[in-house]
Formats: sequence, C-alpha cells, structure tokens
Amino acid sequence: MEMNGNSHGWVFKAIFLGLVFAVSVLVIKPVGVSTQFSMIGGMIHSVIDPSVITEDSSRKSGYRSTNAYYDKSEGSLAKDIKNPLNFAMVFLLAIPLGGFIAWSMDPNKRNKMAQDALRVSGPKSAFEKYYIREILGGFIFVFGARLADGCTSGHMMSGIMQGSISGFVFAACAFVVAIPVAKALKKLG
Amino acid sequence: MDLFIGLATGVLFGAALYLADAASPVKMRQMLRLEDLTVFKIILFAIGLSNVLLFAFNMLGILNLSHLSVKTMHLGVIIGGLIFGVGFGMVGSCPGTSFAAIGTNVYKQALMIAIGGIIGALIFSLMYGNFEAMGIFKSFNFGKMTLFRISDKYPSVTEIGYVGLLVMGVVFMAIAWFMPDKRRA
Repeated sequence: MEMNGNSHGWVFKAIFLGLVFAVSVLVIKPVGVSTQFSMIGGMIHSVIDPSVITEDSSRKSGYRSTNAYYDKSEGSLAKDIKNPLNFAMVFLLAIPLGGFIAWSMDPNKRNKMAQDALRVSGPKSAFEKYYIREILGGFIFVFGARLADGCTSGHMMSGIMQGSISGFVFAACAFVVAIPVAKALKKLG
Repeated sequence: MDLFIGLATGVLFGAALYLADAASPVKMRQMLRLEDLTVFKIILFAIGLSNVLLFAFNMLGILNLSHLSVKTMHLGVIIGGLIFGVGFGMVGSCPGTSFAAIGTNVYKQALMIAIGGIIGALIFSLMYGNFEAMGIFKSFNFGKMTLFRISDKYPSVTEIGYVGLLVMGVVFMAIAWFMPDKRRA
C-alpha cells in the first residue's frame, strides 16, 4: 500500500480520521488540543506562584486569577487549571496512547523507523543534539495557536468541519508561512 | 462519563493521526515542502467527510446543536495563524500530532516539542493582558461567523443551511481524490 503510488489506500485512513471528527462532535464537542497546553502551563505557573489563582465563591467558576488569561470568561481557565481531571485533559493524554496502539499494530513500523533513523544517523549537529528545532518549533506554534485561540485541530479540522470563517483564515495563514519555512529549512532534513 | 468519552475519543484521534502519517514530523515536513501530499490529501478528505457527516447527522435529527463550537474571528487568528505557521513549518508538527507522536518511535523529539509548547503557552498567558490592551481580539472581529447557517447562535455569511456543508464536503473529497500524491522535489 505504501509502495504503490496509484493505490487509494490513503482513503481508508482519511475515512477513519473524518469519522473521529464527526463522532466527536456528535457525542460531546469538536476535537481541540491547544487549550490544554495553557492548562498545563497554568498548573506549573500556579505551583511557582500559588497566589495567581484563588477561590472565589461569588463567581460561577468558583475561581479568580490575577492573570488576565486565566481570569477570562469568569475564570473558566482558572477553574480548569485547579481541576485538571476533565474531559479536555483526559482527551489530550489519551492521544499518545492512541498513537502508541496504532504504532504497535503497524506492520510497516520497522520500515518507517529505519527511514527516521537514516535521517538522524551520522554526526549530530548541536541543533539536533539539543532538540533546538523541536523546542523552538513547539514554543512558536503553541504561542501562535493560543493567540489564534486554536490550532490545526480546533481551527483547521473542527473549524472547517463546521464551516467557520476563523478556521479557513487560520488554515490559510498557517500554510502561507509554513510552506516557505519548511522549504527554506530543507537542508536540515 | 465525560472522562470516558475523553479517553475513547483521544485514543481514536491519536490512532487516526498516526495512521494518517501526521504523527511523523519527517512526513509532515515533506508535505509542507509539497514533495509528498499524501498527508494533506488525507486531512482534506477527512474534513470533507466530516462536513458531509455533519449534514447527515443534522438531517437525521441526531446532531445536538449545543455540541457545535465555532471560534471567534479576530485579528489574533490572523497573527496567531502566521506565527503558528513558522513553528509548524520548522518542526513539521502541531499540538495534536506532537502528542500522537509521543506514543511512537519519535517520542524524544515529540516530548521536546510538547515541552516547548507548554513553555510557549505559559509565556502567552503572561502576555495575554498586553495583547488584550492592544485590541488584537477586538480588531477584525466578525464574531463566531460561519459560512453556512448551521445554528441560530452564530452569524453566517450565507443563508444556506447544512446543505452548504454537504456541497463543500463533496468538493473537498473530490479535490483530495484527484490530487496527485507526489511531485518532483
């Protein structure tokens, strides 16, 4: 299937992914991932500075924060940071489990691992050794996603599924920049 | 119950991203360099199918409209989308796919991406008040606008209802179907 360029085997993968988007909105709500990064960041923040989020029974959420972002929408993020065992967080933490299950069952995984290993073989540059690309890339895309209030999952997939204008605009902006950046960095692999 | 649904949908989403090759930063970077469009085709077809399924669920009367969640259009979507593109293009991963990759052979890279992302989210939280004061979330604000009229809660560009999603979905699937996989690099 992988080797045959004319095969339409990719369609089954696409159907599976499309079903996940649609079933998710049917049973609970559209998929979304980047908000949970703010929850985890907020959990770390409130360990370093416990006074950043305080209880406030006068509010519907029951929480108040000195940070404008956690305090937004009546302290809803503040509440999630203090009560992280919720749907969104379980959803996020289940994603690697799903990735692992699919990877373990993949008959092509050795082939794929060999391809990845080929890429990183040989003397490593400091750039690769200290994962500069990964840390910086992750930093930048989550920062952008929070500013946009969503990422590829929430805006592009779930947003366009519902025909939302913000989803189309986000996808267009993301690809307009990502394509030339990826091309410019081709020599890095 | 919500936690169980979270577990089930998260596992399915992670597995689907892996199968779509979206969990592989190498494949994603090839896609973004327009060398191998398979991942792009899969995602476009999947979105098209979900458009069609949303139409079908609504027609069958099983779609709970309160489950819909449309995000607000504002200047932050444009600036944030452009910034997102820099990181997306650099690393060939995004928040969801980096988590799916944590369960695979590239877990080291994926964990580093996630750690970078958490720091990025934290810095954003600290700066949010400044962005708000700059009026970023108020400019270009069209509210939670949709292309088609899917709910009375949201303003829409056209008065066309769910049938608009059906047509758009079919067009997306057709484009994906006829798109070539590979291009000469």
